[in-house]
Formats: sequence, C-alpha cells, structure tokens
Amino acid sequence: MREWNTPEFTLPGALRPAILVLCLVTAAAGAQAPAPEPEPAAESAGAAEPAAGPADPAQFDAAAATVNRLHETLLGVMQKAGEMGYAGRYRELEPVIAAGFDTPLIVKVILSRHWTDLNPQQQSDFITLFRRLSVATYASRFNGYDRETFSELSREALNRGRLLIKTELQRPEKKPVRLDYLMHKAGDGQWRIISVIANGVNDLSLKRAEYAVVIKERGFDALVADIQNKIKEMESGVTEPEAL
Amino acid sequence: MQQRDNQPSRLFLSILMALVLALSGCAGTPTKSGGVDPDPLEPANRAFFTFNETLDKYLIKPIAETYVDVAPRGARTAVTNFFDNLRYLNVIVNSFLQGKFSQGVSDVGRFVVNSTLGIGGLFDVATGYGLARHDEDLGQTLAVWGAGQGAYLYLPVRGPNAVRDVPDLASSYFLNPLTYVTGAVLFPVTALGIINTRANLLDETRIRDEAAVDSYSFTREAYIQRREYLIFDGNPPSEGYEDIFDEESEDESILIVE
Repeated sequence: MREWNTPEFTLPGALRPAILVLCLVTAAAGAQAPAPEPEPAAESAGAAEPAAGPADPAQFDAAAATVNRLHETLLGVMQKAGEMGYAGRYRELEPVIAAGFDTPLIVKVILSRHWTDLNPQQQSDFITLFRRLSVATYASRFNGYDRETFSELSREALNRGRLLIKTELQRPEKKPVRLDYLMHKAGDGQWRIISVIANGVNDLSLKRAEYAVVIKERGFDALVADIQNKIKEMESGVTEPEAL
Repeated sequence: MQQRDNQPSRLFLSILMALVLALSGCAGTPTKSGGVDPDPLEPANRAFFTFNETLDKYLIKPIAETYVDVAPRGARTAVTNFFDNLRYLNVIVNSFLQGKFSQGVSDVGRFVVNSTLGIGGLFDVATGYGLARHDEDLGQTLAVWGAGQGAYLYLPVRGPNAVRDVPDLASSYFLNPLTYVTGAVLFPVTALGIINTRANLLDETRIRDEAAVDSYSFTREAYIQRREYLIFDGNPPSEGYEDIFDEESEDESILIVE
C-alpha cells in the first residue's frame, strides 16, 4: 500500500503544526479513527463457489431475453412517449418490470439488516412500493426518443449460477451508456434482473447506503414517506426531465 | 506565458501532500462487521457538503443554467473541448505512469492534433483520426500501483474526493498550461471553465435530485463506484457487482452474534 515515493521536496517547517491540527481534526471527526489497512475489496466469505457448471448457452439466451424484453419495451415507450404520456408509459412498463426484476430479492439486499426488523405486512408493502418506484423511474426518465438503440456487448458467467449481460445504450452525438444486468434464475425458473449497473454505478449500493441513513436518522416510516413523495413528484412531472 | 513565482506553487503542493500524509494515517475505520468504513470523516464531509450545496444552489447552478440558455450548444462543446485539451497533459503523463505506452503515445498524438488542427483545442479533430479520448489521472495511477482508496473526502468547492485522489489535485494543477498563465485573462477563463464544468453536470445533478432520498450518501456511493469504474477503464471485475448479494449471509451471521 502506498509505496509510491514522495517527490523530492520538503515540508516547510511552518506546516508541521498544520498537519498536527489536521490529524487531530480528522481523528476527532472520524471518531476513534486510527485504522489499519483500508482494504477495499472486503472478501465475502464463501463467495468463491464456482459457477454452476459450464455456462449453458440456453441459459444465457433465456437471461438475455429478459433484458431484451425490457429494452424493447423501453424503446417502444420512448418512441411513443408524447402520445402515451407518463401514465401510458407507466402502464406499458409495469408488467415488464414486474416480471423482469426480482424485486423481493432486490429489496431484501437494499434494506440489508433492516429487512428482518420488518413484519411480513411491512415487507410485502415495501416490495410493492419499491416496484412502483422502479416503474415510475423508468416511465419518467425514458420520456422521449432521439434515435437511441440498445445493443448487447457480451455475456459472462459469475458465481452461484448468476449471469451478467453487458449492454450499451447508444445515443447519437452523445457518449453511449453502459448498462450491465446482473441476472439470476429465480425459484420459478425465470431469469430475472437483480441489479442494473449504469456506467459502473450500481443503483443497489446507492439505495442501500441512502436508505440506511434515512432509517437510522428518521426511521422506516420516513423512508416510506420519502419514496412515496418521489413517486408523486415523478407522476406530477414536477421534475419532468428533458429527453434523455 | 510566463513562469509564475515559485513560492506559492511549492506551498500549494506541500499543503496537498501534507493533507494526504495526514489523512492516509487516519484513513479507514474498521466497522463492527469487520469491513472498513469508507467514510470515517462523515461529520466534516457532511458539513462541507451542505456548504457546497448552498453555494451551488444560490450561485453556481443559476449561472450555469443561464449559460446553457444563452450559449449555443456548439459553443459549449468548443469550450468543453478547450478545457479538456488543457487537462490532457495530466492524462498523458498518467497513461505512461500506468504503463499504458501505446495509449500514452496515442494521447500525445491527440494532444498535438487537437492543439494545432483543433485550433488550441476548441475542436476535437483527433477522435475522428482514431485518437480516442482517455480518462486518466494520478488517483487512478496510484490505484493501479496498489494504493487503497483511503477515506472518502468531501472538499469545499471541489466536491467528492478520496485521500488517494488528492495528489491529483496537485498534478492536474501543475500539468495544466493555464496554471502558468498570468494576467487579466486568467480570471474570466477560469470562471468560464468552472461554469462550463457545472453546466455539463446539470443532467447528472438533476437525476440525482430526482432519485436521491439522501443526496450525501448517494453522491458518495456514486463517486466511489465511478472511480472504481475509471480505474479499471470501464471493465471492473464483474465479481464486484455481486458482492452485495454475497455479503448478505455475512450480515445475518453478525446479527446472530450481536
């Protein structure tokens, strides 16, 4: 770690106190701060299970079909965005997202340790709410068409039988957006999306961090209220974005 | 162009290095779950976040929005190209530092072509010649050399950062030709650079404001993931994507222990 050599210059003596102060400030800010190795890739115990057998092309095709269905529906609503309106786009996307995403698993991972604190009613309500949030987000963001196309880049087999479908959204005169879909085979044998990674940014981790903060500071009910507000804002087009 | 007085530059660099040394010593607090807290400085970071958001809301963002309304798209693209080109020396140096020699050579070609045929960088002619734009900086180089990310830092004015990315503030400063320009022209050019950068981020911040229930942690997670993506040049190891699913069982076992 940090084996790079400090360039040849010396710290002016006047800076020493400043460093001291800084270290004190950071130590105080970090509350009981001094720490060992910042090892970013926390190894998940027992994650090294091999992929379930050699990747079967039929499985890949089935997983890619789920992604394609989502992409085709998105293109459809983008092309008719104006005449459909937000409500029309929402109606069109809802069944595809309900079938294509494993929302119960996604929600469980996002809420992480808080999940088990919820009673079964709260759990199932939250799954419904989160699904509405996903559909609303797609319906509000994919609100116009400017000759965008989706194309598949590659496929990869990961741990525990999961597959990764890498795709790209191409936009004329704009940088393409990489969209990687992490897929797993649900109990009913259907391939479902469990994570979407857009240009390397994974929505799941973002939401997990955010939701943890809201729950910690204001409680679970406040989180539910916040999400309901987000959905309302998108419905009413308060924040109606320009075309993607 | 004229060499500036050496004193303030040395001081600036020294302060930055001091920051890095000081912070890397205190970076990363182990959490209960045995992982590393990526944000041990959260209280200070949040304070600066609030400061920046306020500054942005009342000053920088309104100016950037007006700029987008007033300046035609073509002009804004030229401005973006111009500043990208000025920043490109830092990209070149870091391509080589990461051992990407053919990329480095191509980056030199890109800088030369855009600075000349592209009229001082206003036009990106090089991409058309197959000299693609790369995104490298000293933070990425340090990561490639094995340095850990260190604590997440939210800096006043500058925004999201991490200890590992701080030395780049110095290298991108000294490798930017604008640093060595003096005189009255410096202020408006710098201001234009800031406004243009902010204007290019309007879409991103709008999406964030639409989506986020806690903007601070949203920004932090997005920054950390985005850096990882850039370090691996757009191809981070796919295992990273599924860590979040395999951690879950760990979390549960911790709950039982607690």
